[in-house]
Amino acid sequence: MGNWERLVWNQRDVLLAGLGVTVEVCAIAFTVAIIGGLALCLVRTYLAPLRPIAVVVIEFFRDTPIFVQLMWVAYVWPEMFGFPSTFFNAGWLALALQSSGYLAETFRAGIEAVPRGQREAAFSAGMSQSQTFARIVLPQVALATAPSIVNQFTVIVKSSTLISVITVPDLMSQSQKLVNVWYEPIEILTATAGIYIAFVFLISSAGKLLADRLLQRYGLNAS
Amino acid sequence: MSEALKQSLDVSLFWEYRGVLLEGLTFNFFVFLCSAVVALSVGLGAALLRMNRLWPIRWIGTLHVEVFRNAPDYIMLVWVHFVLPLLIGIVIRRRVEFHPFLSAVLALGLVYSGYFAETFRAGIQAIPQGNLDAGRAFGMSERLILWRIALPQVVRRMLPEALNLFVSMFKATTIVSLIAVPDLMYNVSMVIQQEMRPLPLYTGAALTYFLIILMLSSGVRVFSERWRRKILA
Amino acid sequence: MGDVPRIRIADLHKNFGPLEVLRGVSFDVHRGNVVSVIGASGSGKSTLLRCVNYLEQPNSGEVYIEGEPLGSRIDARGQRRPRSLAEINAMRRELGVVFQQFNLWPHMTVLGNVIEAPIRVRKLPRKEAIAYGEECLRRVKLIDKRSEYPARLSGGQQQRAAIARALAMRPKAMLFDEATSSLDPELTEEVLGVMRELAADGTTMIVVTHEMSFAHEVSDRVIFLHHGMIEEEGPPAEIFGKPKSDRLRQFLSKYRK
Repeated sequence: MGNWERLVWNQRDVLLAGLGVTVEVCAIAFTVAIIGGLALCLVRTYLAPLRPIAVVVIEFFRDTPIFVQLMWVAYVWPEMFGFPSTFFNAGWLALALQSSGYLAETFRAGIEAVPRGQREAAFSAGMSQSQTFARIVLPQVALATAPSIVNQFTVIVKSSTLISVITVPDLMSQSQKLVNVWYEPIEILTATAGIYIAFVFLISSAGKLLADRLLQRYGLNAS
Repeated sequence: MSEALKQSLDVSLFWEYRGVLLEGLTFNFFVFLCSAVVALSVGLGAALLRMNRLWPIRWIGTLHVEVFRNAPDYIMLVWVHFVLPLLIGIVIRRRVEFHPFLSAVLALGLVYSGYFAETFRAGIQAIPQGNLDAGRAFGMSERLILWRIALPQVVRRMLPEALNLFVSMFKATTIVSLIAVPDLMYNVSMVIQQEMRPLPLYTGAALTYFLIILMLSSGVRVFSERWRRKILA
Repeated sequence: MGDVPRIRIADLHKNFGPLEVLRGVSFDVHRGNVVSVIGASGSGKSTLLRCVNYLEQPNSGEVYIEGEPLGSRIDARGQRRPRSLAEINAMRRELGVVFQQFNLWPHMTVLGNVIEAPIRVRKLPRKEAIAYGEECLRRVKLIDKRSEYPARLSGGQQQRAAIARALAMRPKAMLFDEATSSLDPELTEEVLGVMRELAADGTTMIVVTHEMSFAHEVSDRVIFLHHGMIEEEGPPAEIFGKPKSDRLRQFLSKYRK
């Protein structure tokens, strides 16, 4: 159909540029979220005096809706803390904060799911706390939580559509620009929706495959 | 920084406008209620389609679930509000416009129908076959078995998961401000335009939602604990 | 003994894919009689019972309830056509089934379980259903548990509740599918006691069971099933006292203690 060619295919550079920004923001957010989530989880579990603060922080990031968090980080934080300095940074930061809250809980469940006896076996063999954690606990937690982590990435991708509101030139933003130029929303928006759906579908299918493979090889169920 | 910090923590401005903002919050609530009805009914329908004997019907159900589960809320909101009316308009040859409230309810309802469909399906598959056999042995029609035997058990089993989905849905209603539904965030932006002081308002909004969702999700957590113990007794 | 048997099983065949489970089973059950079906696992006993009320559809053969074929009917033009599911459901009302796994509905109380089918399928008014339902619960000595949920009952109590549930439909015959196989030995006796009373009251019963002494005591006829066919049948005295076939002798020797 002529319209599809004219409006979508011919504009693919614009859309692909937007997709590139989306992927970039999501990748950064995802990485930071894993680190942040792990840090929060470790503080919560092992640093007793800071536990209440960690709990509140985790709850705050999890419970506040992503849109509200985004606006808060983008408009209030620069005044309060001096960063983030760009909307791009505000974008991945807000996404990362929200996901780190979820991942902190995921990691916690994963750690608690490692049977106590395994730690005792390691100590009995003479391993130190940190050795036990690094060689026995962490690998199992990583394997057990991998599907949830992949799922969290899909959440980040889906939430990333909102960073167009703070003028980050992602896929959503670019498609809205095209609609404003051409006044023909049907093909452009449908194609954009299709791209997002396909992208998320691919990631979550990969996650399902991963979960199946883990179950087969290690007999682990996703936590 | 201390001046800005003081300003943003000075939520008295937020408090001053609490009437208008509370009105907005009730809008979030209404959008949530209506979307929840859509999500539950469409989700149940999709789950039943996926369990049909004929594979084309099953395929339609699966397609519905995969499309809506994987779709970002925001793009769905924009699509329903801007594209769907045009498509309908082409078919019936008249100009159609959706009221933002309708678009919001439809978009969120459809997206979450995907999640609820999966919840229903997992619940139905978890019912012991024997329960259904007993129903058949007594001469109950498939419809009777569904409504009297299967669904009550699905609800009991999946209630905690469903409640979590409801909390997520309520959080998702914050985006409806982007198509001019006068919810809390929309009113916040209106006030900001008037007062030109975003800090206390965004902070206030974040705190408000934090407290509300904290209460809701803690309540759900406590309830789910008790519920699971009662059901698995 | 009437002319028309309560239940007639005629040349039932059932395959699951390439596996032939029933290979031509035929017998009659007259009113007030108790027929026990014994045999090794895999002999097809449970499948046979499940075919009687069409939970499994036989590949060929027919089941007649008081002369009416279950799987097909003669329509207004005198043609034979298969019964619809709704029509089969209507006929299923006449057969009470007690399963090995009890299969009580966990979200209803005991009384709720008992009155569900009478109200929904037989369309009885609620008061009537409750009245007769409580009578059935009294019969199985479970009336004091009528407001309990199944999860709080012992296995024996659950199975007795399941029997009351089946009785509440006033069926023409009761089918028992290894009703005591899931129960601990102590609890088995309470259920067998109820089944004995039902037999003494003249209930028409088909009982698939491992309990040989029970079958001996209560049955009018015993059928020994082997690899989907009737190997031997007759009154209990003959089957248990003077088994003719080798296979039956082998089978029984496993149960002699």
